[in-house]
Amino acid sequence: MGSPAKATNESNVVEMNRPTTRARVQAFGGFLTNMVLPNIGAFIAWGLLTALFIPTGWIPNEDLATIVDPAITYLLPLLLAITGGRMVGGQRGAVMGAIGAIGLIVGSDIPMFLGAMVIGPLGGLIIKKFDQAIENKVPAGFEMIVNNFSLGILGFLLMIVSFYFIGPVIESANNFVTSTIEALVATGLLPLLSLINEPAKVLFLNNVIDQGIYYPLGMQAAAETGKSIYFTVASNPGPGLGLLIAFTFFGKKAARRTAPGAMIIHFLGGIHELYFPYVLMKPLTIIGMILGGMTGIAVFSVFDAGLVAGPSPGSIFAYLGLTPKGSFLGIIAGVLASTVVTFIVTSLILKMEKNKDDDDEELTQSVEKSKAMKQQGKQLSNACSENTKKNEDINTVSFACDAGAGSSALGATTFRKKLKKKGIEGLEVKHYRIEDAPDHSDIIVVHKDLKDRAKHAHPNKEVITIENYINDPNLEELLDRLEEQRA
Amino acid sequence: MLSQHLKGNVQFLNSVNSWEEAIKESATPLSKGGNITEKYVDDMIQNVHENGPYIVIVPGIAMPHAQNKDNSVVKTGVSLLKLEEPVAFPEGKEVNLLFTLAAEDTTGHLDLISDLSSLLIEDDVQEKLEKLNSEEEILDLIQTVE
Repeated sequence: MGSPAKATNESNVVEMNRPTTRARVQAFGGFLTNMVLPNIGAFIAWGLLTALFIPTGWIPNEDLATIVDPAITYLLPLLLAITGGRMVGGQRGAVMGAIGAIGLIVGSDIPMFLGAMVIGPLGGLIIKKFDQAIENKVPAGFEMIVNNFSLGILGFLLMIVSFYFIGPVIESANNFVTSTIEALVATGLLPLLSLINEPAKVLFLNNVIDQGIYYPLGMQAAAETGKSIYFTVASNPGPGLGLLIAFTFFGKKAARRTAPGAMIIHFLGGIHELYFPYVLMKPLTIIGMILGGMTGIAVFSVFDAGLVAGPSPGSIFAYLGLTPKGSFLGIIAGVLASTVVTFIVTSLILKMEKNKDDDDEELTQSVEKSKAMKQQGKQLSNACSENTKKNEDINTVSFACDAGAGSSALGATTFRKKLKKKGIEGLEVKHYRIEDAPDHSDIIVVHKDLKDRAKHAHPNKEVITIENYINDPNLEELLDRLEEQRA
Repeated sequence: MLSQHLKGNVQFLNSVNSWEEAIKESATPLSKGGNITEKYVDDMIQNVHENGPYIVIVPGIAMPHAQNKDNSVVKTGVSLLKLEEPVAFPEGKEVNLLFTLAAEDTTGHLDLISDLSSLLIEDDVQEKLEKLNSEEEILDLIQTVE
């Protein structure tokens, strides 16, 4: 290997640190999605359990129902924190995220989803920064003890901080929500309640607002008139249904495939928590939820409809079961209208996002430009979420594929030709079977379909994925990096 | 190298029903020429099932290949199938050119691959290939880059 000039990496680094706002927003959206999506299965498992076995469920079972609370309090937030931590700080980040999350969880008395989504990546970031700071400063032989105790001590501190931090935050959030709702009720403009209801629900304050505020108000009214609209303002299953239908049609990949299952558990089973993750991964969709909720309340008011008691869980069957004579038309119309409105608004939001950052099928050349922008978003998201260390000093690039004979060879040959064209010398560019790529590789290039296998075989290497063995933007970017490195 | 190997191994078809069929069809000259056994054809298809359509090396062009297991490749060779109507590989990747590759070992075929790379690296080579409808014309084009 020649002697690479290391001096001018700066410009390269600066470029990586200067993404556009658009790229940042996209990367952040992708980050949220990646944190939530791998865990949807756990939400569904919990939703099924809850819909079936709680006292008001389909086949109540006291023993099995004891799982419900611990699962939503501990299991689901911890999963989110672990995933978020891992995305930022690898396995150590995952552990750190979980440690931080348990502080939050125990320190509060509502399920800490949003908190876990903050503390997970934060924990990952802390440990990553720490590891970077002490890199190469640990005497040989002490790495293991330093690694374990650094994680242990930092985790211990994070656990305490999050425990003491979260209580007051939740309390003030509760107070804020409660006083705002009371003020809104006083105005008499009930549809405005959705402005608070929908965000509060997704933050898992749903029990606070339903059982703490609306049901008491409802019971007062029901005692006089036999029914009350307050039972419906936050428990209407329509908007959640509309949201999930929209994801079914216009969502991406896994979100699209899981939405129908979530729909059944939400609408028929009444477990609203099932749609929360979808809002958390695309926060803009809260607009659709609010407008849908408003529509529902408006329609219920126009028809002067109400329920006789608080529906729990808020499924369509509980709704119809609690609807008094004369209110059926209003209740059904309200649920339907809210579903339709949320569906339409959410679809528009999802389609807008899709045009912006769909990475599935872009066949036409006319989107070349938006592709370049997307690329920026991807780079950023790769850089901050994948725990790949960006190599500063690249001497060996290994192309890898399943057999190590065909496509990797094509990629390596082509890349060598391009290097030659640019006059870049002194690099080792070879092709291998994924598992055989040598340890001194600075960068491993694989097709995106083989990424997981490459990551698994080489957890600590920078892996670049491509879809085109001749002209891939990621390879062009690597060429640029190499050019600057050699300059 | 590439043009010599492709001689007599270029086929044109209007359309096929599936990508599996495309791979099978594209490999017929190699089977007939004694380069590969039936097992190699199955291995190439299985490879896509297992690892995804990564053999689609650039949009529109696939390079079906697999490992040489149990001597399924007798002699290194390559064939080309051009389809009038593209066929969809998994993940909706449309392909109308298949350079099917059979390599005895991991080194013997590298000049073939190198030529293929020189060919594909050229600007608008794909458009040119689109227009050519005879083996002769295609081999001429390839010779210009060798």
